[in-house]
Amino acid sequence: MRLTRSRHHPIGFLRGVVEDAASFAGDAAAGFRRNGLMTVAAVTTVMVALLVVGAAMLLGLNLARVASAVEAQVEVVAFLQEGLDREGAARVRGELAALPGVASVAFVTRDEALRRLQDHLGDAAAFDDLVKTNPLPDSLELQLTDPVLAPTVAQAVSRLSGVSEVTYGGQVVDRVVALSRSVRLVAGLLTAFLAGVALIVVVNTIRLTVIARRQEIEIMHLVGATRWFIRWPFLIEGLLQGAAAAGAAIVVLVLVYALGVARLGASLPFLPLVGVQEALEPLAAAVLLGGAGVGVLGSMIAVRRFLVI
Amino acid sequence: MVQLQDVTKSYPNGVVALRGVSLRVEPGEFVFIVGPTGTGKSTLLKLLYRAEVPTRGRVFVGNRDVTRLPAGAVAGLRRSLGVVFQDFKLLPGRTVFENVAFALRVTGAPRDAIRPRVQRALDLVGLADRALHLPAHLSGGEQQRASIARAIVNNPSLLLADEPTGNLDPNSSWEIMQVLSRINLRGTTVIMTTHNKTVVDILRRRVVQLAGGQIVRDQVRGLYALDA
Repeated sequence: MRLTRSRHHPIGFLRGVVEDAASFAGDAAAGFRRNGLMTVAAVTTVMVALLVVGAAMLLGLNLARVASAVEAQVEVVAFLQEGLDREGAARVRGELAALPGVASVAFVTRDEALRRLQDHLGDAAAFDDLVKTNPLPDSLELQLTDPVLAPTVAQAVSRLSGVSEVTYGGQVVDRVVALSRSVRLVAGLLTAFLAGVALIVVVNTIRLTVIARRQEIEIMHLVGATRWFIRWPFLIEGLLQGAAAAGAAIVVLVLVYALGVARLGASLPFLPLVGVQEALEPLAAAVLLGGAGVGVLGSMIAVRRFLVI
Repeated sequence: MVQLQDVTKSYPNGVVALRGVSLRVEPGEFVFIVGPTGTGKSTLLKLLYRAEVPTRGRVFVGNRDVTRLPAGAVAGLRRSLGVVFQDFKLLPGRTVFENVAFALRVTGAPRDAIRPRVQRALDLVGLADRALHLPAHLSGGEQQRASIARAIVNNPSLLLADEPTGNLDPNSSWEIMQVLSRINLRGTTVIMTTHNKTVVDILRRRVVQLAGGQIVRDQVRGLYALDA
């Protein structure tokens, strides 16, 4: 921007750039002070929008974690028809073992299945009834050579006679994926809406600064200040607002998430949660980027709309 | 220095400010643009500093075709000329010195060159002893001299003055005219719109008279009106 001066003196040029940056930052800070209430409103609105983005992101990270945890233990389970005798079970087992992609087959009796369920869920009194009338069927558990084959194998298995029902971990994965997709959709819509509101508030704050400085701006234009020289302070003001909102949002999100992880981890220990430290980096990056983006975009709109002379 | 070729300017509301105006001003000239209110005097100046673009015709300032200037090049044009207004357009919260320095600061002048250049400009308009006053503490004439100092601090080759004495009493008006004459003597081309008959008639410079958006008279060493 300052190519007209010091082009041949790198140090002078650098010093000029530093002076500019200082004076731009000073102008931007003055804008912050001038419209105190409006600035607080803008920062708060952007922060709320960023809270939604951040919360959705944390939820998404955890759903992805759950999905991959489930995926790692993908196996196909063929539940046998009730009343199928030993021979029938052995026949089905033979047929299953012959299917392509099946590494091994294990027979699980209904008693064994009930005992496992009991182990998984802990000692609850309600199990006493179940033990008497065990509703679980016998089943055959298939280890696959490759988890990707689960849907194909499951389909082949379901066509065999003697098999009443087939489940595979992939169904859970699919469900988790579908859930995170809808979380993303809802969060996306909410974010878009809030970002729109935040943008309007930022635009208005910057507009107030433009109005407060319109005399200066008019004279700057008149004496030949470049358009970018005039725009910079406003863009920096927007950037600062966005960054302040992002900072506040990150603090709130991390505190609440740390609390939530501690609570959930204690009561549902089998849930594979993403740790606070691990989540911090992508979260902070996304929220900061979002805040700065809304701030800069808002001031750019304001500058375009209200800075025409 | 300045050239208008068959320039017409009509505003969106239908008002035609200038009709087919052609004008040529040589470097170093001092030109009065006279005529009743609403005859396009201010519009003519605005075309020169690119606050307006002509509807038809072309405008040259120096060797720039102002008509075809891209928006990004307007700043360069503005640095090559100075503009002075009837209402001074000084920043009320800043001292005279800061007002003048502002023009250098926002156009990227090296910091250590600002003080001596502001000082020189203030000396030229005779305002050196008022440098640290706020505009509100100055007389109208002094404020106008401050705004002239701001207009010339970049050493422009062209100075445009839109009714610079319009708000001033006769004494102050004379001060302003002396300052403008001094600036013109140093080689700066001056184009000034005015209603001030006395000033025009005493200075006897080139007079361009507008009426209804057209040039009706262009006279060397002219008077404010033909029948005077």
